[in-house]
Amino acid sequence: MNERQLGAVMVVLMASIAVGFLFVLFRSPPEVAPRKRLADVPAEQAAGTMGGGVVAASPGGEVERVDIEGEFLEFDGQPGKTTADWPHFRGADFSNICSDSVPLAESWGEGGPPLLWDKPIDLGEGHSGAVVWKGRVYVMDYDEEKQGDALRCFSIVDGREIWRRWYKAPTKRNHGVSRTVPALTDRYIVAIGPRCHVMCLDTETGAYQWGIDMVADHGAEVPLWYTGQCPLIDGETVVLAPAGRSLMIGVDIATGNVMWETPNPGGWKMTHASVMPMTLLGKKMYVYCASGGVAGVSAEKAAEGELLWQSTAWNNKVTSPSPLKVDDQQLFLTAGNGAGSLMLELKEAGGAITAKTVFEQDKKTGFSCEQQTPILYEKHIFGVLPKSAGERREQFACFNASGKIVWTSGKTARYGLGPFLMADNKFFILNDNGELSMIKASLNGFEPLAQARVLKGHDAWAPMALVDGKLLLRDSKQMICLDVRKSRIN
Amino acid sequence: MAELKGPNKLSRIGFLRQAASRMVAMGLGLVGGLLVFGSRRQNTVWQIDPAKCVKCEHCSTDCVVAPSAVKCVQSYPICGYCRYCFGYFHPNYDELTSAAENQLCPTNAIERVFVEDPYWEYNIEMDKCIGCAKCVKACEDFGNASFYLQVNHEECVNCNNCSIAMQCPSDAWDRVPADTPYKLKHDQRQVVELDLKPPRHTV
Repeated sequence: MNERQLGAVMVVLMASIAVGFLFVLFRSPPEVAPRKRLADVPAEQAAGTMGGGVVAASPGGEVERVDIEGEFLEFDGQPGKTTADWPHFRGADFSNICSDSVPLAESWGEGGPPLLWDKPIDLGEGHSGAVVWKGRVYVMDYDEEKQGDALRCFSIVDGREIWRRWYKAPTKRNHGVSRTVPALTDRYIVAIGPRCHVMCLDTETGAYQWGIDMVADHGAEVPLWYTGQCPLIDGETVVLAPAGRSLMIGVDIATGNVMWETPNPGGWKMTHASVMPMTLLGKKMYVYCASGGVAGVSAEKAAEGELLWQSTAWNNKVTSPSPLKVDDQQLFLTAGNGAGSLMLELKEAGGAITAKTVFEQDKKTGFSCEQQTPILYEKHIFGVLPKSAGERREQFACFNASGKIVWTSGKTARYGLGPFLMADNKFFILNDNGELSMIKASLNGFEPLAQARVLKGHDAWAPMALVDGKLLLRDSKQMICLDVRKSRIN
Repeated sequence: MAELKGPNKLSRIGFLRQAASRMVAMGLGLVGGLLVFGSRRQNTVWQIDPAKCVKCEHCSTDCVVAPSAVKCVQSYPICGYCRYCFGYFHPNYDELTSAAENQLCPTNAIERVFVEDPYWEYNIEMDKCIGCAKCVKACEDFGNASFYLQVNHEECVNCNNCSIAMQCPSDAWDRVPADTPYKLKHDQRQVVELDLKPPRHTV
């Protein structure tokens, strides 16, 4: 190879390297074609969510008759002794305040209050709270293995199971399954399953009394994420709100016969709120927040089931907290999903009752609760603000009845969707992850007393119960009993 | 061939020496260049920290790319697959269908797919998403917070002074290593699942 040829080779070689380098440097990435989207019309129709499909009585499913009597199982647990009961949702007087509490500890060690049972009770995934009667603890549960709802009775002494009655009702988990608190008297206990099955049993023996399917019998529609409504027992009447063909029904607790029905001309739907008994304008009534509006139904013997008043000023698709009586005329309504809150005032003129909005609360700047019903204490309303409350999100807050936030727990003390109750001038607040806080019940400001992680799971949303200083609480899968008495800890 | 004479004449050996040294120099230059540009891939790109993001909507309005390079992504392990998705449906929806008036998203960028009763899957269509964070805010406020914002590096031009980062009120914008360019809530393997791309532009 002569010099000329060698030079040419070198030039070609250098040019090739340069071109390759430029190609590597400036090459374009491959084009990405946008994905095409097709509307899933057949699926929407099959699920009953689009015109042309079958409108199902429950989301996506046909109405199936369930044998609510089911099967009864007995175990070796023995009931203990308690001097008081926690007979239904929000305690004896529906205030969520344990007014006859024994003195409770002012603080705990790092480990929290002592556990009363050797081990937690394992439950199906859900958010059902407990009730307590004569040393027994009752919980509505879902047995994932058997695919059925189960009302379970445990000993408060050691958590051992005494009996269980269950019926088959396959339900897929959807942020848990069971989420209602039973109601009981000395003779009967009533529970509602996730798909609106109502079961009445003998409180002591678990013997089956009667059952109602609110979907099949009353045209109810199972709410999104399943039933959250807790049954109400008022004397000899079980009050339910199917919000189907009837807005509300009264059922004879002894027989299961429907005694009265309140029409539902507006086609309101069931929410996760519960029917609350209250006396407003001197009249006993049942107040219920449906999806469509809020209504008051007479609880007076002479006019049971008669619609006294209704308002569409409060109309949300999803409402979990129940109505809260503030005074003889006013009630406070609150919800999450951007709903905020509303103070309603009832007035009677010419024999008719009307509801007027006193003030509204914005979800971001005002006071509202997303999942739990607030507590009224000394004319002030207490609750945990929702995640949508801006800088005050998830803080515990005190709110006066004229519409002003008095204090909040501040940015270092945030909670969540968990429950709270009051006893012995203290608030007990459980956050989503099972951390229990105790704060002083005060109108003057946030005064923390103690805090401890007492549950290991998540989504600890079930309402708590407190009897004789024994605090029952659960996360999505386990229930425990804490001894929070002063005599035990201090 | 005649012998080359004089000071400007190059001998064969000299020519070969010179050529060889130039080749070596070029090789070194090429290696150096590759090292320089290669190292850029190990440098940093912009990304949003979901834990700090306050869903203020600056991401949709302040990006130099139109529509914004910021997109919503879905964390499937966190999602509840609800029939009523707070991030998908407008709070005042008429019915739970994918009709436009029921949707919260202004650009119809969320695909709703029926899985089985009662579960529905929600997928983000990146080419439609404008990063407005309406769905992210609703999902976080009332749901499991499975929707969140990320810079899509398929579209981000990685400005030295990112115009969104300069407006971000919560200091949620950060430089992250270019080889791990996403701050995912769950598993980095979701990059593939979510169809997220590696950075085209790095600094």
